Amino acid sequence: MQSAFEFRGYTRVIARALVETMVPRWPGFEPELTEPVLQRLEATLSAQPRAVQTLIVAGLWGLEVSGPVFGHGLGRLSAVDRDERDRRLTAIAHSSVPTFRQGILLYQTLVNLCAYSMPEVERFLGANRREWRNDRQRLRALLVQLDDPARTPGTPEALGSHGVLTPAAYIEFGAAERVAEAVASSASPAADANPVTPAVSPVAPARPRPARPRRRTATERTATDRTASDRTERS
Amino acid sequence: MVMHRTDAPRLIIPEAGPGEWVLDCDVVVVGSGAGGAAAAATLAESGLEVLCLEEGGYHPTAEYSADIAQMLGRILRNGGATAIMGRAPVPYLEGRCVGGSTVVNGGMCWRTPERVLDVWSRAYGLEAFSARRLEPLFEEVERTINARYQDPGSEGPNNDAFKLGADRLGWRLSKNRRNQVHCVGSNDCVTGCPTGAKQSTLTTWLPRLYANGGAVVTHCKVERILRSGGRVVGVSGRVVDQGFERRFSVRARAVVISGGAVQTPILLLRNGIQVRSGAVGRNFTIHPNVKMAALFDHPVAVRGAHQAWQCIEFEHEGILMAPGLIPLAFQSVAFNDFGPRLAQRMRDHEYIATGGILVDDHAAGRVQVMPFGIPLIRYDVTDEDQRRFVLGASYLATLFFEAGAREVYTPFHHFPRLRSPDDIPRLKAAMPKVQDTEYFTAHLMGTCRMHADHRQGALSPDGQVWDHPGLYVADAASMPGTIGVNPQVTIMAIARHIGLRLGERLRRRAAA
Repeated sequence: MQSAFEFRGYTRVIARALVETMVPRWPGFEPELTEPVLQRLEATLSAQPRAVQTLIVAGLWGLEVSGPVFGHGLGRLSAVDRDERDRRLTAIAHSSVPTFRQGILLYQTLVNLCAYSMPEVERFLGANRREWRNDRQRLRALLVQLDDPARTPGTPEALGSHGVLTPAAYIEFGAAERVAEAVASSASPAADANPVTPAVSPVAPARPRPARPRRRTATERTATDRTASDRTERS
Repeated sequence: MVMHRTDAPRLIIPEAGPGEWVLDCDVVVVGSGAGGAAAAATLAESGLEVLCLEEGGYHPTAEYSADIAQMLGRILRNGGATAIMGRAPVPYLEGRCVGGSTVVNGGMCWRTPERVLDVWSRAYGLEAFSARRLEPLFEEVERTINARYQDPGSEGPNNDAFKLGADRLGWRLSKNRRNQVHCVGSNDCVTGCPTGAKQSTLTTWLPRLYANGGAVVTHCKVERILRSGGRVVGVSGRVVDQGFERRFSVRARAVVISGGAVQTPILLLRNGIQVRSGAVGRNFTIHPNVKMAALFDHPVAVRGAHQAWQCIEFEHEGILMAPGLIPLAFQSVAFNDFGPRLAQRMRDHEYIATGGILVDDHAAGRVQVMPFGIPLIRYDVTDEDQRRFVLGASYLATLFFEAGAREVYTPFHHFPRLRSPDDIPRLKAAMPKVQDTEYFTAHLMGTCRMHADHRQGALSPDGQVWDHPGLYVADAASMPGTIGVNPQVTIMAIARHIGLRLGERLRRRAAA
């Protein structure tokens, strides 16, 4: 494991101000994202070399005292209110000097990646990747099962081509169950207490595939018929 | 030897112990990605004792979590925060785990175009790389990694929208073959396929290595290339990320470096290994690409395969276009914005299609090692390539609008949004500068190029570093130049070629 990285002292104050400005906010979205995103940012930076960590910290201090350089006034970045910080950072992000723009781009990329991968945000935006991944795991388990030569023809075929699911329904596999689960969980206070699906859940048992009559090959017909006639002779 | 064997056979995770960990084998391969795994498996199948050293850890499918930030730190070098410096910084991704970049790539399987192989065989003197002679190697690679088309229905609406636009324009599409078995469109390629559908080297070449007596050792960062009597005789380094300090060394009859087009030249140069032509670290090509997005009236995103098609209509101009479905968090960084403004836009995320433009670049960057071993990776996008990016952006915007897009978002800082097809001529006229463009790449190549003439290349046609007996390179660095398509099949075919030749040579030497 890499050594844990964390913003310390006044650097943390600056980093918190930056993150608070950059995290998404929506009317009706309750969770406060600043502190969790800041912690995820620190965890992300832990995987990076010391030179990058140092660069990030130095850049934060540069932004903190950048007011006079960009004509934003003498106030430090972390000392002004959120709207003013947003105005300042946006101005730098659209600077005519590429280096300044790219600096902001680095921070906004890191913050956006951390923020928009949070389960709360994904759920709020209707992109619950955790449930989606579970659905996909079940679907693939079913497909692999279909490939089992003992059960089906040896040639792998797409699920859609069997008529089990149409291509249009393929991508929506499990959607009905997702809706049902969402309704059930919204009705249950206990479910709300821990609404996050485990990051990786075991593959659920595949649903049995509806039987589909298959034409026998010539070899199979011969073998089966011979067995039947043998039995007849023995009896 | 102190080791801990995992459930995966022949996979060794180092443990703490006294003194240096000393190992012996016939061939030591540094890296377990597309090049390293293919070379290692080939050498093991030749009857040689092969040890494959990997700097990263072993992360099987069950460990691929939905937490993107966590996964980036786990399987990518520097958590994905790597960039090439130049006129504009170009972020790039490099896998750092058992399986290397094959764990995090999109799984596209393209053979090296014949026009490229023709140049390699004629201009570089690489007779073994003619299309005819590589044919069986390509076939074998494709069979090994299960290169096949998506199951019908799994493509998803992002790919469908792209296809619709191309079909309406009458532009030629090429259906992607990908190394997958029943990819179900999880849209999580870059953080490790959560269903096991992607056939990375974890499930293809490495099992072949294990089956033939080879082994992979994780968490081993190679720092030194050992030499004796004018020959390379092994490598040494230290165990990393395991919470203890320990050095290791491996003695071998041959050393194969497969760290990729950035790490391989860095390792060689840090060890003072350069060839007379000075080609180690030079001829760095990166297939730069840019991302674009488009807002539709119907849902097009989130679910489906990463990339099922490529538009080859403008291949002759060195421009390749493709859809590129990405998870929500990556979609958020496609826009140059943050805070509430971005939040507002991301409410429409399901209606935002994403795609990219790849340019067959003409520039040559360089990987250098500065004093104190600090790497400097430099590449300048040329004005000519930029012209093709702008042209490609106009093509892709046309395609998106034709498919029904309401708005198209560009990677150009001063021209971020096209509101209608009428804006496209203005984009072309504006010709955004290199410094005002956001690039990205995952295809790094050519920093130890093969060439039959030792005055012009870093490697012999057999993959040996010129003037350094016993030292081989088998990865994207070996490629003589840019290929214009996704490179994993090419890398594996080259590694297989090098492995076959080296295996034959070592067996003959042993017999003699």
